Amino acid sequence: MANVRIDRLHKEFRGPTGTVHALQELTLDIADGEFVSLVGPSGCGKSTALRIIAGLEVPSSGRILFGPRDITKLEPRDRNIAMVFQSYALYPHMTVRQNLEYGLRKRGIGKEERARKVAAIAPMLRLETMLERKPRQLSGGQRQRVALGRALIRDPEVFLLDEPLSNLDAKLRVHMRAELAALHQKLRTTMIYVTHDQLEAMTLSDRIVVMNHGVMQQVGTPEEIYSRPANRFVAEFIGTPSMNMIEGELRIEGGRPVFQGPGIAVPLPQAPPRMPATPQATLGVRPEDIALVPPDAPGAIRAKVTVSELAGAERYHFIELGSGSVILRTPATTVLRPGETVALGLDPARLHLFAGAGEDAAALR
Amino acid sequence: MLRLLRTYGLAMVLLTFVAFPLYWMTLTSLKPQTEVFRVPPTFLPATWTLEHYVNLFWLTDFGLLFWNSLKVCLLSTALSLAVGILGAYALARFNVRGKEAYGRLVLLAYMFPGALLVIPLLLLFRELGLTNSHLGLSLAYLTFSLPFVMWVMRDFFASVPVDLEEAAMIDGATRLGALWDVVLPQAVPGIIATGIFAFLFAWNEYLYALILISDESLRTLPPGMMRFVSTTDTNWGLIMAASTLATLPMALAFGLIQRYLVTGMGAGGVKG
Repeated sequence: MANVRIDRLHKEFRGPTGTVHALQELTLDIADGEFVSLVGPSGCGKSTALRIIAGLEVPSSGRILFGPRDITKLEPRDRNIAMVFQSYALYPHMTVRQNLEYGLRKRGIGKEERARKVAAIAPMLRLETMLERKPRQLSGGQRQRVALGRALIRDPEVFLLDEPLSNLDAKLRVHMRAELAALHQKLRTTMIYVTHDQLEAMTLSDRIVVMNHGVMQQVGTPEEIYSRPANRFVAEFIGTPSMNMIEGELRIEGGRPVFQGPGIAVPLPQAPPRMPATPQATLGVRPEDIALVPPDAPGAIRAKVTVSELAGAERYHFIELGSGSVILRTPATTVLRPGETVALGLDPARLHLFAGAGEDAAALR
Repeated sequence: MLRLLRTYGLAMVLLTFVAFPLYWMTLTSLKPQTEVFRVPPTFLPATWTLEHYVNLFWLTDFGLLFWNSLKVCLLSTALSLAVGILGAYALARFNVRGKEAYGRLVLLAYMFPGALLVIPLLLLFRELGLTNSHLGLSLAYLTFSLPFVMWVMRDFFASVPVDLEEAAMIDGATRLGALWDVVLPQAVPGIIATGIFAFLFAWNEYLYALILISDESLRTLPPGMMRFVSTTDTNWGLIMAASTLATLPMALAFGLIQRYLVTGMGAGGVKG
């Protein structure tokens, strides 16, 4: 068991088309036993970071420490890590038992001890009956469990998981997600989890690291990331449907701050502590933070419904607002007809204001 | 129905084309000397005889030739696989500068006509004391089999998922350990296919064997069999008997590994 310190980790790839900075100055402290997710779109550097921690890639600069031990230059086999791959990477010519035992065998652990460890781990992952089968005779979920078992059996200091659930069908994914959470509860091993699925990151993690273009955007608990996104990219990446963004200007009118969008004006409860240099700003509001209000309520915004979608327990309503469109999330019992005019109220305490319009526009708070 | 007929008809024509020489060779080896030249020819021997086979072992050094050939072929196959597999793995996995150019160079080496290389090789081998040596002849065969093994195995390795060996390395294997434990078992069809090819090439090779070996006790089969042809007489029965026996190990090997060869030709079908 160890805490992990990632210190100004940098990785660039030199290609014929120029240098690509896959990872830029990533610094992160992970506590012993913590579950940390690296999340972001493909190409954001999350997998590169994980592969550097595993020792499968060499960083251009920076250091990695497990506890007091600098492991930056160690071979993967000397790091005492275990990794679960997206493809599971089960050895096709070995049985499940041989797959589980391989790491132990490579570490010179005797036959009896190996058999004992397999016997201990197999019931935990419900693999007892399939130990003598080959990977190709297993279902996707079973393969997934073998891959987990192969990592668990080694009792590693740090557990690395590279999109381990993304090859499973939706139902199995939810199930395995819960199993993974239970497993972490039980083992309390440091886990670093890479995913592009923000829902997996939200449900599993103690802390989430949101990445984009090789740069860490924000690190925090799932609550912090969701309710106080540091910039527009994080705000839009986390949450489904994603946060509504209205681009406009921040002004002071009659001593009170007002967000002026195309066709709408939203008074803000207070001015940001520091007014940005340019008035250009983006107002963000989550689909569940828009309420339907009586038409005569103060500050009500009148808008027209374009489409309503039923998503089981809830409904998503697409609503024309100014020159753009926002999504409103309501319980399924709220029925709105296309073409209908509704009055919307925005909860001022739950508005997000960003300076500028690009995805790196920082939150004003 | 018509399509079926056409398919089988074509297969029959091809089969005749390929199989008739084998059939004729085997039959001739079983005919007495007097029947070999009979006109019209007999398609089944009128008299069956094993006299050529008996002569082969009692009157010629066929046994020694066969043994020498086997030694040289096994050695050159083992060498080309050992070196070729490591080279191909490096070409498939490592990011070395000029890797692509090197890969193409390997293919170019394979296309070089052997007759062009044999004299320089002879001069070089004489300096190194590698003439009249089975090791020397095996090394000379590497000029052909090694590029082939590297070229084919490179594609095989490229089709084995990198994840597998990365998983093995995290599990505690060295890179060579991962290659041995995890990658090679996935590439078995390729290893067998290229191994057979390397063996076959060496088994049939005539020119190098003739020029690099002059010591009669070290002769291999193809040049050795040429001595059954003299200026005044060609003992066809003897040649055919020797050819039949020389073909046998190959035919057997092909029969046994047919399944792998098909996979081998569809390189990349490793994941089955």
